[in-house]
Amino acid sequence: MRTLFPFRRAAALVAAAALAACGDSSTAPGGESEVISRVTLTLTPASGAALTAFIDDSDGNGPTAPSAQQGTLTLAKGVTYTGTVKFENRLVTPAEDITEEVKEEANEHRVFYASTNTGVTFTTTDTDPQGRPLGVRFTVTAAASAAGSAPIRVVLCHYDSAPKVASATSCAGETDIDLTFAATIAP
Amino acid sequence: MAQGGERGGLGWPRWLGRVARAAWPVAGARVAALALAALAVGRPVAGQAQAGAGVRQLHGIVQTAAHTGVMMAVSDAEVIADWRNNDALITRNVRTDAKGRFTLRDLPARTVRLTVRALGYAPVTRTVELGEADRLVTITLTQAATTLAAVAVRGDTVAERLARVAATSTLDAEALAAVRGQTLGESIKHLPGVALIQFGPAVAKPVIRGLNSQRVLVMNGGIRQEDQQWGTEHAPNIDSFDADAVTVVRGAATVLYGPDALGGVMRVDHAPVPTGGPVHGEVAANLFSNSRQGALSVGAAGFTTRVPGAREGVGVRLRLTGRVAGTATTPDYALANTGFRELNGALAVGVTRGWGQSELLLSRFGTALGVLSQAHAGNAADLERAMTTPPRDSGFTYAIGRPDQAVSHTSARWRTLLPLARAGELEVVYGFQYNHRREYDAHGPLRTRNVPAFHLKLFTNQLDVRLAHPRWRGWRGTVGTSAMVQGNQTLGKGFLIPGYDQWQGAVYAQEELAVGRLSVTTGLRGDVITQTTLPYADLGIRSPAETRRWRDLSGSVGAAYLLADGLDVSLRVARAWRPPTVNERAAQGVHHGTAQYELGDLSLGAERSTGVEGSVRYHGARVELDLAAYRNRIDGFIYLQPTAPVVTLRGTFPAFRYAAAPAVLRGVELLAVWRGPAGWVAQATGTVVRGRNVVRAEPLFDMPADRLAVQLRREGEGGAWGRWRLGAGAQLVRRQDGVPSGTVYTLPTAGYALAQLEGGATGATVLGRRMDLSVSVANALGVRYRDYLSRYRLFVNDPGRDVVVRLSFPF
Repeated sequence: MRTLFPFRRAAALVAAAALAACGDSSTAPGGESEVISRVTLTLTPASGAALTAFIDDSDGNGPTAPSAQQGTLTLAKGVTYTGTVKFENRLVTPAEDITEEVKEEANEHRVFYASTNTGVTFTTTDTDPQGRPLGVRFTVTAAASAAGSAPIRVVLCHYDSAPKVASATSCAGETDIDLTFAATIAP
Repeated sequence: MAQGGERGGLGWPRWLGRVARAAWPVAGARVAALALAALAVGRPVAGQAQAGAGVRQLHGIVQTAAHTGVMMAVSDAEVIADWRNNDALITRNVRTDAKGRFTLRDLPARTVRLTVRALGYAPVTRTVELGEADRLVTITLTQAATTLAAVAVRGDTVAERLARVAATSTLDAEALAAVRGQTLGESIKHLPGVALIQFGPAVAKPVIRGLNSQRVLVMNGGIRQEDQQWGTEHAPNIDSFDADAVTVVRGAATVLYGPDALGGVMRVDHAPVPTGGPVHGEVAANLFSNSRQGALSVGAAGFTTRVPGAREGVGVRLRLTGRVAGTATTPDYALANTGFRELNGALAVGVTRGWGQSELLLSRFGTALGVLSQAHAGNAADLERAMTTPPRDSGFTYAIGRPDQAVSHTSARWRTLLPLARAGELEVVYGFQYNHRREYDAHGPLRTRNVPAFHLKLFTNQLDVRLAHPRWRGWRGTVGTSAMVQGNQTLGKGFLIPGYDQWQGAVYAQEELAVGRLSVTTGLRGDVITQTTLPYADLGIRSPAETRRWRDLSGSVGAAYLLADGLDVSLRVARAWRPPTVNERAAQGVHHGTAQYELGDLSLGAERSTGVEGSVRYHGARVELDLAAYRNRIDGFIYLQPTAPVVTLRGTFPAFRYAAAPAVLRGVELLAVWRGPAGWVAQATGTVVRGRNVVRAEPLFDMPADRLAVQLRREGEGGAWGRWRLGAGAQLVRRQDGVPSGTVYTLPTAGYALAQLEGGATGATVLGRRMDLSVSVANALGVRYRDYLSRYRLFVNDPGRDVVVRLSFPF
């Protein structure tokens, strides 16, 4: 009488589903994380030694604060430095140079520099394929009258839905990096 | 704005729900179907003194022709009286006593439909005219060979028992069709005690009595829906067209449904698989002007005897739904990237045999939805800018860009009902669910742009065994066990929650006793839950492996008393608990919608709630009133507490740690309906909730603002329009100023008032075809507003005017 219902097949389905459920849980990072764990500034004067400083964040986007800045930036008065910025992910081996990606996707990126010291000025010297500033390369000049502390704020801005405007002076897109290097003007 | 659904006429019990389980003791042997049911002619009962004020009583006897032709009483048959009040189907249930007698009190003075069902008999439906006087009817049942026809396989069997003392509202298929929105959640938003957390048009999460997400359980077809419901941006992955009834249980319902049902339960039931009859179904289309959205759903059900290997027939039910929505628009601008799509299918196969009934349901829900571009902030400075910059008008498009989500939910449910002697029944439900969630960030390097930031796969197996036992010394009830095994995979390039395994086991019993006008319901449940988080270590994020076990009891006692015909009061005390969810324990990362850094706490303990609720209900011929009030204390209430900001190379983030503190939620809910002459109906629904963190002495966040919905409509019947209605209403929402400090939720939102228009017809005849249609206009005046529970309220206004056309062609 009890002909139809496929109990045996259903039982097999149950067993299969049960196996799928409990044997399989895992925490497997996709290995594609977009993390910048070190930002390095290099400032090269026309003559003399280059200045280099970097800041690490050993847990990437984790809650631990970035480490103290390595290297000191002491700007000479009246000197123009050629600057470059480097973004790296050093939490993977080998380390990834994210700056290359920023350059590849130059139309969607812009690096802004600013200082609270009004005697320090920045000029972006590279452009994206559409002729808008990029900011991986720049110059920084400390005026002859400048003095004291001159923190350098670096903002890597990503334009996705917001349009990238050449004349912008601050990030209107999504912020990928926002940190400040300590720097001083040589007395 | 349709609603309805009933708790029974309390005190005079409507013993059980739609699912009847009565067995005639001597009819163990199946008797061939006799003649058609001979319906007794009702006659007025002389000298009924109580039949005043338009409230009627219906007395009756249910009997059957035994083999010899002698009439025998049918005990424990389910007798259901129902009638339609506007969109709401109102029902009263009772069971016959040992002599086959029943009495239904507080019926309206009008024609009602009477359905009598008993296991082993063909169901009988007839109309009874109560307009003039009380009546006495005799119903004769015919024994049937295949008898479970009317015993609908509909969710689980426990719903209606709880409904008698818990505050419950139900939307049946017809009411749902009239209010069906873009999402399932939207369909219930006008019920008392209910609000919605919206994450754009595509995501609507029910908030019941101020609680949401992991504190509200969604039961889908008898099994608990497991779809990463802890996230406020994760809506129930259920096809709104496939819901045949939606029931909202307000207040803790953990005994029957399990931990997590602290705030309440949203039950979704599906149409039963046919046990006979021709192929039938519907083609339904919904159109929404605001997002230029179209939804098409085709449902069909039938019964076939031509199945190889089967000696008897097989019932089949099928549904396919597709939905495409473009950009939603406010009165001033389009909301960039808010389009969404859905493609859903469901197939159910069921058999009904002498041993009982079994049904297999397979379903898949798939959606792709855009996330508002502005609502994705890189850091706190971005958020500040997004909040202060006037929104850009993105223009209309059906395209979905980044950020976005792709979610699918696949489930299989196998349910078997085995009737036992003396009205007992054994129910076995096995469910498998696979939830696949992918969330894509706004941007990323080109080579990984199509790798989801968050990628979760959740596998869930459940087995529920319930025994509805025969009546014992006046007690009826259910005892059951429930088991669940769950595994979560975390695969994305970012970290949100770790993978985990979870095991749950429970035993429970819920019993009820009726003594005269008093009805008592009590239940007890014990659960053991083990959660093992899996280790994660990548790019600086560390999340340890850890196993925790929780064990606790839930219980409730409730009583309802019938003060007078149509007037009852009820009181209920419930104790409930839930373990912390994995995100509360182990979350670590930035929430891009709010630029908050959220940190879990592995040491969090379980939440324990103690709630008291009371209600007064009156059902008269003209006036219907349902007033409920509650106080719910939750010890160890888990919330996000502001902590020291997190600094990363990306910038500074306001940080929040999951913390626990005692909280108290209080509230009142009101439903009032007045039915005037000439089909005029006025209706009001109001909800007030107050949630308070006792330690910090400040409000809880995500509490719905006080709201009141009023509607005036006229209804009628006849002519080519069938049953028609035409109405106008308003949704009034007070300013939400009860907000906690130190979060983006601190910002109060202003109050608002929205106008709504509605017109519709059920059973209309248009061009010779029968059809149901309705047209409604939401936010008819195009008001600019932001609801406190809208996740986009920090950035943009809520959508403007929306003209919704709903068409359904039955076949």
